[in-house]
Amino acid sequence: MVIKNTYLQLAQIITGALVGILLTIHMVVMHLDAILGFFGIVNDTSWSSMMIRARQGIWAGIYIALLAFGLFHALNGLRNILMELNLSPRAERILTWFMIAIGLIFLAVGTYVPLALLGK
Amino acid sequence: MAEIRHRKNSLGITGWAWAGKYKLERYLYLLHRLTGLGLMLFAMMHLTATTVFRIQGQEIWTATMDLLHNLWFKVGEFLVVTAFVFHALNGLRLVLQELGFALGKPVPPIYPYQDAIRKKRPLTIAMIVLIILLVIVFFYDFNVGGW
Repeated sequence: MVIKNTYLQLAQIITGALVGILLTIHMVVMHLDAILGFFGIVNDTSWSSMMIRARQGIWAGIYIALLAFGLFHALNGLRNILMELNLSPRAERILTWFMIAIGLIFLAVGTYVPLALLGK
Repeated sequence: MAEIRHRKNSLGITGWAWAGKYKLERYLYLLHRLTGLGLMLFAMMHLTATTVFRIQGQEIWTATMDLLHNLWFKVGEFLVVTAFVFHALNGLRLVLQELGFALGKPVPPIYPYQDAIRKKRPLTIAMIVLIILLVIVFFYDFNVGGW
């Protein structure tokens, strides 16, 4: 697969920014319980609280988008590190397709669950 | 078409940490990589918990959460949050610099020279201060038991 590294680098920057925004929302909601609780906002990891979020389309959308952008950013970042090993062109192609395959598997599993829980 | 000849990576992985007089930014770059790899590892485990276990229903989910609600996992979560804050803000610094922001206007090379590192340094320091402040906020929340 021939994709210019400049485009991959641009995509790395854009997905990095998007992951930063979406993950900040996730981190604040899930990990600032005490501070959010002061303002009357309750979010925890109990089944009922989790299902309230899971039934809302906005949260499913946020999680699927976070997963897609996060997977690209992480796997492309890992690929960049491994490419420093001066791989042969054949090894580079195998690495690229391996990253794409891993990404698609995680994306499929990670997309199925939020969509399945939406209707419950 | 001539084949691209790769230069030998003679330092290998040890070159990440030491190859002479590395400055602060170079160690931030190393930390950026390490936090990125750590966050990816955590994300894979987190994804497993929130998909494979969650889809199996309330009992499995509650049992998983009970297993994870202990001091060691909480400390681990705090480290993940710290790694995220660092990776995100250091990444923002790298993007700003790559796009040419916060580097100042180009000036003629007249003595005393101002090299690129010195021009970037105020942004680096500002980001480090911001990282520390945000980590303190999350630590406060962690400490008062809001996790």
